[in-house]
Amino acid sequence: MNLLTKKETPVAANRVVTPRYDVHETAEAYVVTASVPGVDKSSFETTVDGDTLTIVGRRAATPADWTPVYREIPQADFKLVLEVDRRFNREAIKAELSQGVLTLTLPKAEAVKPRKIEILG
Amino acid sequence: MKLVRYHNSPLYNPSVSHTTLRDEMDRLFDVAFPALSTLQRDGFFDNWQGEFPVDLYQEKDAFVVRAELPGFRKEDLSVEVADGILTVTGHQKTEVTADKEKKSTQERKVSRSISLPEHLQADKITANYEAGILTVKLPKSEEVKPKQIAIEVK
Repeated sequence: MNLLTKKETPVAANRVVTPRYDVHETAEAYVVTASVPGVDKSSFETTVDGDTLTIVGRRAATPADWTPVYREIPQADFKLVLEVDRRFNREAIKAELSQGVLTLTLPKAEAVKPRKIEILG
Repeated sequence: MKLVRYHNSPLYNPSVSHTTLRDEMDRLFDVAFPALSTLQRDGFFDNWQGEFPVDLYQEKDAFVVRAELPGFRKEDLSVEVADGILTVTGHQKTEVTADKEKKSTQERKVSRSISLPEHLQADKITANYEAGILTVKLPKSEEVKPKQIAIEVK
């Protein structure tokens, strides 16, 4: 297998991992939260293309003068791809980053919000 | 051909050996697939054994520990050094309000202890929490920093 022979190839460059994430629903919106530690606010790209929502977060590199002694944190960028339907308002997606947790709010389209129907007569 | 030094294996002599079976398996894999252990050292696998992954780096004047702890508040994290062991703990309680009547508390506690290299200035350790990553800087003490020693010539 080629993987084992390429010793010198920097593993970091193009590797991506799927972050841990949750999706939950409120009356007004679908909310996606993803753990993306070590990613700067400016290094996020969130795109909606057709039925695909893609979030890419690039990890900030550690200073060059730090020599690794022991490593557990994967040297990889984050990429989360979710399949979405058209039941939310694409223009009004909100993203918020706080201490390594990204919260994406996808407001529901008016058509799928719960509606109370008055009974007449 | 590569010669490998004979090593007492607990599989053959359990009463003498001090190593665990796990150590033996690690050693076997290191010998048989050296490239794999390189990948492991570089964090290729999610191979951490604690509740969150940590990295250890060395700088000229300090060691640096990085711990991945997304989603905590700064005040919910604690860093302690005692007897050459660094302990990082995150303890968070969040009140969840599903609706007006129902209230519940979510609690999350994670902890990790790392044995530290010797010769550190324990009183000068600093910690910083940013983007979900806790960075602890442990300055080396003067005696281990490379020093130039003048040699007297008589």
